[in-house]
Amino acid sequence: MANTETTANSVSIDGLTDRYLLFKIDDANYGLPLSLAIEIITIQSITKLPRVASYVKGIVNLRGKVIPVLDVRAKLGLPEHEYDDKTCIIVLDIHDMHVGLIVDMVSEVASALPEQLMPPPKNDKAATYIASVFQKDDKIILNLDCEDFFKDDLEQTRV
Amino acid sequence: MSTDDFAMDSMLEVFIHETNEMLEQLDEILLDSERAKSITDENINSIFRITHTIKGSAAMMSFNTISSLAHTVEDIFYLLREDPSKLSIVFDSIFDLVFQASDFFKRELESLQSGEYHEGDASAIIASLKEQAAIIKGEKAPEAADGAVKTAASADEDIPADMAKIRVFFETDCGMENIRAFMLLTQLQSCCEKLSSIPANPEADANLCADIIANGFIVICKPQHSLDDVIKAIENALNIKSYEVLSDGSAPVEEEKSAAQSQASPAAGKAAPIADSTAAAVAKVEASNISKGVKQSLISVNQTKLDQLMDLVGEIVTAESMVSSNPDLKGLRLDNFTKSVRELRKLTDELQDIVMSIRMVPLQSTFHKMDRIVRDMGKKLGKQAELVTEGGDTEVDKTINDAIVDPLMHMIRNSMDHAIEMPEERVRLGKPEMGTVSLTAKNTGGEILITVADDGAGLDPEKLLAKAKANGILTKPESAYTEKEIFNLIMLPGFSTNKQVTEYSGRGVGMDVVKKNLEQVGGTISIASEKGKGTTFTIKIPLTLAIVDGMNIAVGDNIFTVPITAIRQSFKISDESQIIVNADGSEMIVLRGDCYPIYRLRDLYNIESGTDVVTEGIMIQVDSNSSGFCIFADELLGEYQVVVKPFPIFLNKYDLKNHGLSGCSVLGDGSISLILDVNSLTND
Repeated sequence: MANTETTANSVSIDGLTDRYLLFKIDDANYGLPLSLAIEIITIQSITKLPRVASYVKGIVNLRGKVIPVLDVRAKLGLPEHEYDDKTCIIVLDIHDMHVGLIVDMVSEVASALPEQLMPPPKNDKAATYIASVFQKDDKIILNLDCEDFFKDDLEQTRV
Repeated sequence: MSTDDFAMDSMLEVFIHETNEMLEQLDEILLDSERAKSITDENINSIFRITHTIKGSAAMMSFNTISSLAHTVEDIFYLLREDPSKLSIVFDSIFDLVFQASDFFKRELESLQSGEYHEGDASAIIASLKEQAAIIKGEKAPEAADGAVKTAASADEDIPADMAKIRVFFETDCGMENIRAFMLLTQLQSCCEKLSSIPANPEADANLCADIIANGFIVICKPQHSLDDVIKAIENALNIKSYEVLSDGSAPVEEEKSAAQSQASPAAGKAAPIADSTAAAVAKVEASNISKGVKQSLISVNQTKLDQLMDLVGEIVTAESMVSSNPDLKGLRLDNFTKSVRELRKLTDELQDIVMSIRMVPLQSTFHKMDRIVRDMGKKLGKQAELVTEGGDTEVDKTINDAIVDPLMHMIRNSMDHAIEMPEERVRLGKPEMGTVSLTAKNTGGEILITVADDGAGLDPEKLLAKAKANGILTKPESAYTEKEIFNLIMLPGFSTNKQVTEYSGRGVGMDVVKKNLEQVGGTISIASEKGKGTTFTIKIPLTLAIVDGMNIAVGDNIFTVPITAIRQSFKISDESQIIVNADGSEMIVLRGDCYPIYRLRDLYNIESGTDVVTEGIMIQVDSNSSGFCIFADELLGEYQVVVKPFPIFLNKYDLKNHGLSGCSVLGDGSISLILDVNSLTND
C-alpha cells in the first residue's frame, strides 16, 4: 500500500498529497491524509450488527453500497456520546475497502509539508494510532495512522 | 513471445476461449467415439475441422508448437477422412495420442492464461503421431515422415486438368505472408470443391514468406460454381496486390462435377464465405453443433459484464420497491399509480428472470471433464469403470458451476481411487467386472441436487472410527456416534483414510476442502454408504445466490429477512403457558406433537429494543438442515424480494456467516436488513 505521506517530497501530483482532512473529537484536532478520504456524509441510520466489537457501530447504505462504520471515539477508548447534527461519517478507502469513520465534526482541510510533521511523543498512551503531529495556526493536529488504526480489523481480510 | 504485446491481449483472450471450447468438443467426440469403438465420418470431419482451426488460429498468434501439433493431428485425420478403412489399424493408439495432444493444448492454454507463457515441447507427441500417419499411409507412402514437404512437392506435379491455377501476390511489406496465404485459402474453401496451393501448408513454416514474396502464392482449385466466384473472393481478400489466372481449367468441369461433389467435404459446402479465418472456423464449428445438437449457439460475454448487469438489475428491483412502497404514498388512494406499478413489477421480474438465465450454464461440460478423469484413472490404475451421467442439461449459475468443478473432481477421483475395486476383486465379490460411478444432477425447484455414487467398497464405519480416534478428532465416546455422524467424520480437517499418497488422491486436499468449497456457494453435502455396496454423496446447492424471496421481520429497530423457503409457518401465541421453560432458561413449544426450541432474536443478538412479551410478538417456525425451530420476533413486515449483498470484507473477522447471518440487503426505503441463515443461526 503506497502511503501518500511518505511520497510527498515531490510536487503534489493530484492536489491531494500533503493535505489533511481535519476533524474533531472533543477538543482535540485530528487529521487524516486527504487522499484516503472519499467523501463525508452526515450521520444516518446505522444498522447494528450482532457479535462485533463495540467500536464497530454497524453498516450503512451508501447509495446501494453497504459499508461498515466505526466510531473513532469508541476505538480511541473515549466515552461515547449521542450523535448530533454535527456528527459526520468520513468514508475512507483503505486497501480498496470502503470504511466509514464516525467523528464529532469535520473542520477543514489543511496543508502540511513533510518537514513540518513531527513524530508523536513516544511511550505516551495518548499517542496510540498517531502517525505524526503538526501545528496549524495555534492548533496542534494529530495525524491518525490509518494502517495502525485499522490493524485489528485488516488482519482477517488478507487471506 | 507475443503475450507481452499489449494489443494482442484481447485477441489472445478470444483465442484461448475459442480453443478451449473446441478442445472440449474434441474430448467429447473422442470419448463418444472410443466408447462406440468407431469414429463416424462426421466425427472425423469434426476433428479435422477442429484441429485445422486450432492450427490456423495458433499460427496466427504465432504459437508455433500448438500449431504444429495441431497440424500433425490434422494430417492424421485428413488421411482417415480420405480412407476411413485404415482406422482399424491404428484405432487404439490414435485415441491415446489425440488425448495426449488435447491435454498438451490445454496445458499450453493454461500457461497462456496465467500470463507466463513458456512454450511446451510437443516433439514426442508429434513424432508418435507422424509414426501413426506413416502406418496409415502404409503401402501408399511408407517414407512420408515429413508430410508437408512431400505434399508441397507433389502438388506441383499432378494437377488435374480441371483445376484452375491462380498466382497471387501480396502487398509489399504487409508481413506474415505465409499466414495471409493460409487465411486466403481458408476463405476460398467455401467456394472451391478442391483446393491446394504452392507452397502447400503455408502456415506451417514462416520461412516460406520469402518464397511467397518472390514467386507469388499459387492457388490451385476446382471452383464450386464458377471461377468468377473464386476471383471475387481473392479480390475481396485483404492485402492482395495482384493476381493472375495461369489456367482456368474450365473444360472438363461439367463432366466430373458429379463425381467430385460426392467427395467434397460436407463442411466446406456448409460454411458461408466469411471475412476472416477465425470467424469462418467458428461458423463451421457452429454448423457442426447444430447438426449434432449438443451445444446451443453461443455468444461469449465477459463475466464481469454479466456481474455488473446482475448488480444493476438488483438495484432496479430495489428502486422499484422504493417507488412502489414509498412512505409519501401511504394512505393515498392511487388506482392508476398502482396499476402502473404492477406493470413495472411484472417487467422487472421478467428482466430479473432473463438476467438470471443468462448466467445459467448447463452442467454438461463439467460432467464431460469427469468423464475424462474416470477414463484416465481407470487406465492408469488398471480398474474398469464407467461414468454414468444423468441430468447434464441441468442449469446452474456460472459461479456455482465454477465452484463445484473441483469438489466433483475430487469426489470422482476418490471413488476411482479408493472405492472401485480391481476387476479381479470385483468378480470375486460377485459384482460386475465393470465398476460404475454415477453422476446425476437434478433441479428440485429452489435447489440443485447433485449425487456422486459408486458401486465400490463403501465406507467402513469401524475403520473410520478407529482412524478418527487415532487422529484425535473424536469429540465424544465412540459408542455415542451414529452411522451418519461417523460418515461425516471424513469431512473433518485432518482426516484422510488413505495412508498412501497417490497421484490422484491424497494431495493434502481432503473432503474437508470439498465441503468448504461447497459451503462457499451455500451448498451442503451428505453421505450415505453401505459397506461392500458403495457410497453416495449428495450435494445440495441453492439455484442462485443473488436474489431471494424473503419475509421481513422486525425486532426493535432492526429488520431481518428470513428466506421464504425456510419458513414453515408463523403464528401468534395467545397464552404464555404454551411455552415450556427449561431449567437452563431455554424455551420450547409443542406444535402438532413435536417439540421445537424457541430462539428469541432479541436475546440471540443482544438487541435492546423490541418486545419481551411472548403474546405481543410473533413466532416463526422455520426448517433448518438439522431440525426445525421457532424464531421469536416483534412483527412481520411483509414479503419482499431482496438482493443479497455480502457483508463488507472488512467484517470478515467476525465471521457473521457462521452465526446466522448470510448477508444483508438494502430495502426500498434505503435501510438495511440482515438476512438470516437458519442453518447456522443456532451454531452458538
